[in-house]
Amino acid sequence: MNAVALETRQLSKVFENATRQQVVLRDLDIKIYEGDFTVIMGASGAGKSTLLYALSGMDRPTSGSIGFFNAEITGLSNDQLAVFRRQNCGFIFQQMFLLDSMSILDNIVMCGLLVCSDKKKIARTAQDLLLKVGLDETIWSKFPSQLSGGENQRAAIVRALINEPKIIFADEPTGSLNSAAGVSVLDVLTDVNANGQSIIMVTHDINSALRGNQIIFIRDGQVSGRCTLDRYRDEDAQRRAQLTTFLASMGW
Amino acid sequence: MYPLWTLAWANIRKTRSASITLTIMFVIAALLLNAGLLVLINYGGFFTELTDELQTSDVIYVMSRSLYSPQTARYFARNPHVTATEDLDCLMLDGYIKPRDIDKNYYLLFFDMDQTRTMSEWKFVGESLGISGVMPIYVPEVFKSIEGYHLGDELIITYRDDLRGKPYATGKDDETELRSELVFTVKGYIEDVYLSSTETGVVGFYLPSETYHALARKLDSPIYQAHVTFADLDDIESFPAVEGDLRDVIGLNSTSLMASPMTSVMAAIDLPMLQLARTMMANMVSAMMVLFALIIVGVCLLVVYFKIVNSIEEEMLNIGSLKSAGYTTRQIITSIGMQFLVLAVAGSTIGIIGSYAILPAVALVLEQQSGLMWEQGFDATISIAVWVVLLLITALVVWFAARHVHKLTPITALRGESHTHTYRKNRLELHRSPLGLSSTLALKSILQNPRQSVMILVIVTAVAFSGAFGVTMFYNSAIDTTAFAQVPGQEITNVIAIANIDRTSPALLNKISKMSEVRKAIFLDEASLTLNGNDVSAEVMVDFSQREASNIYQGHYPEKSGELAVAGLLAEKFGLHIGDSAQVGFDGKEETFTIVGLSSGSFNGNAGNSILAEDYLRFNPDFKTQVINIYLWDSVDTARYITTLKDTFGKDVFLEIMNFDELMEEALVSYQSIISLMGIAMLVITAFVITLVLYFVISSSVIRKRHELGIFKANGYTTEQLMLQFTLECMVPVIAGASLGCVLGGIYTNALVGLAFRSAGMMVTNFIVDPLWVFGFGLITVVFSFMLALLITWRIRNISAYALVTE
Repeated sequence: MNAVALETRQLSKVFENATRQQVVLRDLDIKIYEGDFTVIMGASGAGKSTLLYALSGMDRPTSGSIGFFNAEITGLSNDQLAVFRRQNCGFIFQQMFLLDSMSILDNIVMCGLLVCSDKKKIARTAQDLLLKVGLDETIWSKFPSQLSGGENQRAAIVRALINEPKIIFADEPTGSLNSAAGVSVLDVLTDVNANGQSIIMVTHDINSALRGNQIIFIRDGQVSGRCTLDRYRDEDAQRRAQLTTFLASMGW
Repeated sequence: MYPLWTLAWANIRKTRSASITLTIMFVIAALLLNAGLLVLINYGGFFTELTDELQTSDVIYVMSRSLYSPQTARYFARNPHVTATEDLDCLMLDGYIKPRDIDKNYYLLFFDMDQTRTMSEWKFVGESLGISGVMPIYVPEVFKSIEGYHLGDELIITYRDDLRGKPYATGKDDETELRSELVFTVKGYIEDVYLSSTETGVVGFYLPSETYHALARKLDSPIYQAHVTFADLDDIESFPAVEGDLRDVIGLNSTSLMASPMTSVMAAIDLPMLQLARTMMANMVSAMMVLFALIIVGVCLLVVYFKIVNSIEEEMLNIGSLKSAGYTTRQIITSIGMQFLVLAVAGSTIGIIGSYAILPAVALVLEQQSGLMWEQGFDATISIAVWVVLLLITALVVWFAARHVHKLTPITALRGESHTHTYRKNRLELHRSPLGLSSTLALKSILQNPRQSVMILVIVTAVAFSGAFGVTMFYNSAIDTTAFAQVPGQEITNVIAIANIDRTSPALLNKISKMSEVRKAIFLDEASLTLNGNDVSAEVMVDFSQREASNIYQGHYPEKSGELAVAGLLAEKFGLHIGDSAQVGFDGKEETFTIVGLSSGSFNGNAGNSILAEDYLRFNPDFKTQVINIYLWDSVDTARYITTLKDTFGKDVFLEIMNFDELMEEALVSYQSIISLMGIAMLVITAFVITLVLYFVISSSVIRKRHELGIFKANGYTTEQLMLQFTLECMVPVIAGASLGCVLGGIYTNALVGLAFRSAGMMVTNFIVDPLWVFGFGLITVVFSFMLALLITWRIRNISAYALVTE
């Protein structure tokens, strides 16, 4: 078995305002292993994204702790968390969140330069990765507003990969794409995972979830079920049936 | 209308800090503009009202009573230009008053307050006490407001008591031992037009009849007896001619105009010149206030413009929603307009009300120079005009900035696209930049969105310009006052010795020049002559190159016979230019001279001209040069040298010896305090405006870019990195603006001051623009802005990466 990449202990997240208190995550104990493609599923409001952002150090839990390769990250300051993210995490968002004012290449290089000061090396790595995800040099100097959603999301994946993070966090990466673009993005993520990179992805979509080998189902802020699949190689009926059965048992 | 107002109010509340900042800027702009215009327009008017109220005469002649003979009275009575006169006897002392531990020297006139007057009346100001008590005296109001004399206080006047001994006696006589004191009790305050300012050199006091006669008995000598003639003229232009003829009548034309022992003192002041002298500083200060206010108004309007353009981009979705819901473009623009007009109305109203609160303080500062107690009531015309104009131009800017909303269709707005949206060129690629990451990102942001930087650049340039102006004014009025002292056209020396007409000679000058303390000594006299038939006065010198300060701003001083330099203001009045011929004469003789130079300075009447001694002596062979300017070595103590001079030459050689250093210091002190106050005020306002603008720009920018900042943070950028990046983004235009503003301020300060002084005859000013001070100011501006920007960007810490996905 691979090493534990992320581990939560009694992790809780409570949102409060003047009138009410909402418990979104409740005493979660989860282990995620290095090299896994973990998919977090659940109904809307179940706490999937909250869990993803707590695990990645983008948000702070209300209580409990998170270990990242046995190092505690819950006590880090905001700036320490920023350094932690740049060195260990890559993010892919449903809305891509590329900077409109920068070219595609600059969007990637600006993250790479946080970790490595060799500008040429970073640019070369970014260009190689862009070519790998099917974005050739004709679009490197274009702005996000000039590209399609699928192209932007692939560029966002390259941005997430540029610093060779230990874990990639993806929040509904195909949520705003058409099916062809979605498949293309999932193919890229699958390839990345096949090369040994851990991925934690939140999704509503069964086709996306089929790419994972660990499925965690969240309900009312708690893990209500787990399903382990073989590594994804190709779309096959048995894999789909196994997942569908699991999701049906979860009331999906 | 109500929904629009609700929308506008919601936007104001949403951008609370930016709205407050903008309101404060409107407050400052309206305050300075209203106060400046009130002073500029009403101060001169107030002077005119006062002269009308007190039936002030066109001219006042103050002379030793020995000069006022029946012949003099006949001259006034028969002169066709003189339409009315009133004569008063009074007492005159060359005395010292010591408020605030500084001896101030004036010609002091004491009047019997029971004498009736029909011309140039005086009036009580404020409360007063009865005439009982020891030596009651009524003093000009300026003695209360500036010098701090309260009712019942002792006013001690020290004067050279010529009845006790002989001044300038040989041996070891110390002049201070010859001084006597007069002790009065201040019983009230008065105001008259000619004699209630300490800055004209002649101050009038009013005594109850009994006190006046007691004083007259004590000062029973011709040297203390004086006569005042108030006169109305048919035309104020005839003033120089009347004065010139009067000098003939009383026999002063063969002496230098500056040679005036107490028994031959004759001073003539006309009302327009007095008004100019007493309101000059007010005009200058108010002109600067208005100019500075206009700069701040411009800053406000720029901020409004950019705020609207930015908010249209930020509120694109809301605009789309409103348009799709059926709101017309006009309604949307009205709602945007309301948001800013409400701030402009609030700021302008508070500013205008506030200006009335600060006016008493401004009036007090101006009173130091004018001696006029100015009380400004509410001036509806000016204040409403300021209010309306500010709102109108704000409305115009709102319309201009919001006009793009016309072109937005609901769908483009809902998609968040601006009609002006164009794909931009990717400037400064990160991997090719030679700069560090934060600097590159900052520069990239400037290049991608130059609008904000242009706004900061323009604003900082404007305020740095006025700041550099303020620094220069402060430097020249408080640190190195040489240039300031030269502005009125005065030759700066250390001692002025006026030789007795019987004892003056080149040999005397030579002897003085050879004294070990003396660096240089020159004759520099002033005499009457006519220029194209007009009575004028001129400096008379053997060689003008001996002057240390040149007043000539165009051409040169006379170098050979037949050349004349003319005061710039006179040249404009008489239509004379360099190279023109003019008829110069005296006592009926006339010759043609060539104008070779134009001079600058605050010359009284028709003074400020220059003629070579050889030429003047042809006209007036009896004329004798009497006034010796003595320049001492730096290490020499002027007061001690004067004692040595008296000891060396004895009692009969000099009519008077003046400590010019001391006189200059006294004369400049009030001007300096006003100018340095103005300079400091401009610096403070500059710092304040820069603070407000940076706060406004950065806080708006942080709000506008919170999405972008969230992306940066999500990708691992720390708060410090982003603070530095934002700060650098602001600093580029700040550094450029501060540099540009300081350079422009350095170059144009003299031109600007020259414009303000021009009406007083000072055609050019040569204030010292110390590069170190101006550079220092620029550096302080930049460092201050940097610290401020870091402080303001501290709010970036509140933006979290997580908020990006939850918004």
